[in-house]
Amino acid sequence: MNLFQVFSEVYPTLLNGLGMTVQITVLSLLIAMVLGIFVCLMNISHNVVLRGIAKFYIWLIRGTPMLVQAFYFYFAMPQLIQSITGSQFRITVFTASLVTLTLNAGAYISEIFRGSIESVNKGQMEAARSLGLNYAKSMQKIILPQAVRICLPSLVNQFIITLKDSTILYAIGLSEIMYNAKIYVGRTMESFATYTWVAIFFLLIVTILSFISRAVERRINA
Amino acid sequence: MENNIKIKVKGLKKSFGSLHVLKGIDAEITTGEVICVIGPSGSGKSTFLRCLNRLEEATEGEILVDGESITGKNSDIDKIRRHIGMVFQQFNLFPHYTVKENIMLAPVQLKIKTKEEAEKKAMELLQRVGLADKADAKPKELSGGQQQRVAIARALAMEPDIMLFDEPTSALDPEMVCEVLDVMKELAAEGMTMVVVTHEMGFAHDVADRVFFIDQGVIMEQGTPEEVMDHPQNERTQSFLSKVL
Repeated sequence: MNLFQVFSEVYPTLLNGLGMTVQITVLSLLIAMVLGIFVCLMNISHNVVLRGIAKFYIWLIRGTPMLVQAFYFYFAMPQLIQSITGSQFRITVFTASLVTLTLNAGAYISEIFRGSIESVNKGQMEAARSLGLNYAKSMQKIILPQAVRICLPSLVNQFIITLKDSTILYAIGLSEIMYNAKIYVGRTMESFATYTWVAIFFLLIVTILSFISRAVERRINA
Repeated sequence: MENNIKIKVKGLKKSFGSLHVLKGIDAEITTGEVICVIGPSGSGKSTFLRCLNRLEEATEGEILVDGESITGKNSDIDKIRRHIGMVFQQFNLFPHYTVKENIMLAPVQLKIKTKEEAEKKAMELLQRVGLADKADAKPKELSGGQQQRVAIARALAMEPDIMLFDEPTSALDPEMVCEVLDVMKELAAEGMTMVVVTHEMGFAHDVADRVFFIDQGVIMEQGTPEEVMDHPQNERTQSFLSKVL
């Protein structure tokens, strides 16, 4: 039960897992931001089909638990593809995890973008269009720069959620921090100390993230 | 005479769902004319103005600017808007740009001017509206009256030949109304074609060549300020003026 004694034994495997946690989170967030922009633009477009696709995607992701999505991409999808094509289809744990986390964050981020764009005063678009700028230029020069400032706090919040949600992926065997912790506990029974350290690691990272986001916000609003 | 017609509005109707805001407006505005549009709130006067640069799509009818239809499906509205300046009640300056950048943005983005030319023009315009010292300030650092003068300068940067004003002084504190109206008077004196929706009856009376009194979605009465404001014939015009004068 000694916290510090356990730490000296467990920290290499936890740090190892944390490396994977950070890697998959950063990678999926980067892709999810791009995905989020496209889904958001589809969602606010006047094209019924594009809007329909965007809304369907968001509805699907929001309406199902991430654990189910992870199982779906890792177990269910390969079986489906195999039964259609007739040949063996395998997906790595890492790919399935990346797809799950990216599609998940992408849906929420697109909604954050949409909310921010819609909260920019309507008169801004009218002023830009009145000067003769077309829709795309008005978006790019007038609306998006303001939307970015508005979305920043929610976006950082989503980063934090995605970071923490990535622990769910231990269930399909991604060797992130929770997976490594669980294996260590299974071997040593030191559950209290191990999970305490896992929690502390997350607290540390999230605290640093919040700190950076506040600093960035201050600079942008200045 | 026909050649002098800058804006021609034919049978303009506008509905928002089941709400009929404009019920058939016909008007001709000649080059260099200053039109003030007055009327009770909710009468459709702002909607009329916003139809003139297609911020609102006409439900029915046609609007011609320089003989060219702007309501047709094939008209290039972005191009037409370049020579129709618009000033809003809420200024709508771009908060993330400085005053100078606000004015330079459209000419530079539309590749009408180089950055240097646009900057020179912006400083000239700021000089003209008396705000050269605010070139590098952000809009939020300015008073309402100053912001509105910048908004006028921003519209003028595109060198428009028509200026639309949508209640330009309604959001201002009383002591700032004058500085904005003075800039507008100067513009009018220089021969700009202007359509001004306003509650400033004194301004309408002094500056307008013609006044449109709009009520219930139609132009109830129009004519010189003397005709419409001093000797109104229409009962609704009389009733409106008796409340605001």
